[in-house]
Amino acid sequence: MTLLKMEEITKVFPGVRANDKVSFDLQAGEIHALVGENGAGKTTLMKILYGLQHPDSGTIYLRDEPVAIRNPRDAINQGIGMVHQHFMLVPPFTVLENIVLGMETHTAGVLHMEEPARSIKNIMEQNGLLVDLDTRIEDLPVGLQQRVEILKILYRGAEILVFDEPTAVLTPQEVDELFKTFRMMTEQGKGIIFISHKLDEVLEIADRITVIRRGQVIKTLLQEEATKPLIAELMVGKPVLLMVEKPEARPGTKVLEVRNLRQTGERGHATLSGVDLELHTGEIYGIAGVEGNGQSQLVQAITEPVKLDSGDILLEGESILSWGVRVRRDAGIGHIPEDRQRFGLLLPFSLADNIVLGQHHRAPFVKWGQLIDASKIREYAQETIRAYDIRTPSEMTPANALSGGNQQKVIVARELRFEPKVLVASQPTRGVDIGATEFIYTQLIAARQAGKAVLLISADLDEILNLSDRIGVMFKGRIIKEFTQEEATREQVGLYMTGEQSSG
Amino acid sequence: MAKIRIDKYRLLELAAPILGFLASIVVLLIIAALVGEPPGKAVAAILRFTVGTGARLATVFSVAIPLFLAGLAVAIAFRAGVFNIGAEGQYFIGGLVGALAGIYLPLPKAIHLPVVVLAAMAGGALWAAIPAILKVTKGIHEVISTIMFNNIAFALVNFLVNGPLSGRGAQSLEPQTRKILPTAVFGKLNSAFRAIGLNIPEHVYMDYSLIVAIVMGILVWFLLFRLRFGFEIRAVGVSLDVAKYSGIRVKQVQIGVFLISGALAGLIGLQEIFAIRGHYTFEIASGLGFDGIAIALIGRNSPVGVVFSAILFAFLKQAGYGLQLYTSVPNAIIYVITGLMILFIVVINEIVTRYIRALRKKEAA
Repeated sequence: MTLLKMEEITKVFPGVRANDKVSFDLQAGEIHALVGENGAGKTTLMKILYGLQHPDSGTIYLRDEPVAIRNPRDAINQGIGMVHQHFMLVPPFTVLENIVLGMETHTAGVLHMEEPARSIKNIMEQNGLLVDLDTRIEDLPVGLQQRVEILKILYRGAEILVFDEPTAVLTPQEVDELFKTFRMMTEQGKGIIFISHKLDEVLEIADRITVIRRGQVIKTLLQEEATKPLIAELMVGKPVLLMVEKPEARPGTKVLEVRNLRQTGERGHATLSGVDLELHTGEIYGIAGVEGNGQSQLVQAITEPVKLDSGDILLEGESILSWGVRVRRDAGIGHIPEDRQRFGLLLPFSLADNIVLGQHHRAPFVKWGQLIDASKIREYAQETIRAYDIRTPSEMTPANALSGGNQQKVIVARELRFEPKVLVASQPTRGVDIGATEFIYTQLIAARQAGKAVLLISADLDEILNLSDRIGVMFKGRIIKEFTQEEATREQVGLYMTGEQSSG
Repeated sequence: MAKIRIDKYRLLELAAPILGFLASIVVLLIIAALVGEPPGKAVAAILRFTVGTGARLATVFSVAIPLFLAGLAVAIAFRAGVFNIGAEGQYFIGGLVGALAGIYLPLPKAIHLPVVVLAAMAGGALWAAIPAILKVTKGIHEVISTIMFNNIAFALVNFLVNGPLSGRGAQSLEPQTRKILPTAVFGKLNSAFRAIGLNIPEHVYMDYSLIVAIVMGILVWFLLFRLRFGFEIRAVGVSLDVAKYSGIRVKQVQIGVFLISGALAGLIGLQEIFAIRGHYTFEIASGLGFDGIAIALIGRNSPVGVVFSAILFAFLKQAGYGLQLYTSVPNAIIYVITGLMILFIVVINEIVTRYIRALRKKEAA
């Protein structure tokens, strides 16, 4: 029986087609995995299913009936449940209170807890989800909190269960337990949508796997035909959308050296397990890897002071570990951050202010160390806007009035104009339209020609393959393989990305 | 072209407080009518007590001086996203330290006056320093710690004025310090105003604290919009993440702004202590620090905005007395109206801000 069918769902946000005629279905008793890079459109599709967002076109069928899901309440009433990445639980409440919250059994306002407790115990047994009902959420480990989330949606009668990266917070043993529960639930005829970056887990548990890229369904695979390299290739996409003119590299001296960097994450697992890396002037070094293999932690370690277990980072031979962000920037480390809205721009501030941000404390923008020279700032901003073709009515327009592509241009322009020695570019083209993407590529290459060292981190394998002179593949907190651009093929890199091929 | 557009947005931004004010006045009149007073009579009472005579009008401005300083103190902290709920305590301690400098330091007038002002600022900053340090080193939220510090300040001042610093003499039964030396007493500016043709009666306090307020207003404006530290204050207030990313030393900014806020709060009591009473007591007007929160909010945390919202608050305070005196509308209604006004202005502000953002998006597209 088809539990759910989403047909030709399209959702457009300003500048991005988040979902472009996406069709997706779920059978009773099936685990259907949804994979794709961040920003590919998985989350949007699930938000539409859960009524958090409304499609511009397309139809949703539940058990072959077309339905309109206006809000999460509708979704819950129709038997759709979602376990979010971040739990929606009230920490000081007990497990039982959290489960019944929102649909309490009562007579004239007096709560009855015995009856719900009994039916919840039933659900627990059927699904292998044992938790003590009287414990407070704040006293439970993460794995058990997740069980409570699952119980919550099962108690509301969910038939279709959506799991958004459920294993990201779990230990391997907890993952095994979760998968047992998955199987018990599917045996009862429920359907599960499983979103994950971890291809091993997807292959282990999913009956079918749908790959989404840039808002479109690329392919739906059956478990038998799926292999890791195949999924990885589908995820990162068809070869070359953009070809960029790239003169021969003339790498020079070593500017940045990362030595045996090790870091333990909050949950006690290794996030960086011995990263070694050398970066030279006049080269672009690309880091390929499935997200969550330590790329973000590496970027952080280079750009800001963080806690490390061991290792060192040297800029022109000098250790930078004890330096604050300002000292690092002043010493010549530029950074295009992964999440531009959160880290890159002061949204209500003018473009002029945003363009000098990070250099605002130095001459010529301040005199005598403190006095702001507004006319110098505006002049510099106007030059920048002209040179980098930023589309804006004026340099005094607030940053939040600009399109995503133009916002990203502002950041790229800012980081390049302050003439860094090393530019760390983290997902520089994510969520940016084709025009701006091409512009950013051109600028990165121009920076390399000007003798800067560029460290490019991207989930888009084509981007890495096209731009980089050397490519390092990151897997489980380490660079397990380095390629030169000539020897790197999509297949080879893909194999290392999934850990199929171990270091050689 | 661009210039004209910006002016259009400015106008829209200004509309919010005016609309909020008018809406709350309408509510006031409705309440007056419900109490059985004809709206006309209520309006007349308010006008008579606020702008009826030159003296009344001057009183509104006089009352606005400490309110302005309170608003300014809270506003600058808000600018960096720091919630200084402790202006009240900082004002009590700052006032005390200033008064002590006024009582015990024998200095010539030209030096003594600036010294007491600086002493009051130092006292306020000192009282803000502990919550500031607790915030950046231990992550203790300033709302909690400053409220606690308000209570500690009251208790401390109460003890000191009754005990070691008591100067209760023949003059009064009320616990108070010794008298402030004549060299530190704030004189009146009424004669200076008369010189430029403004006749302010002697019983209205237009004293040196007005000069302090004006100087502080200009300094804060200059700091926020002309100095690098002000830029960093505003950047931290908009986004901690972006500020950190761009190399701003967020903790230093937070501590700095907290101290400045406390120093400004220390000045709130100048008028009452140095011009009106001539001694310090824990009976000085309470609640001004809390008024500062609302004043900063309505003034949109800008020094210029705070000028207007402080005058508005002073107007409302006086209007309340007018209502009480001339009508059967209780004075307390003014608190209701003030609250409503804040609510109206905040809501209208939000609507206008969204509208402007939409307009700008269209323009940039």
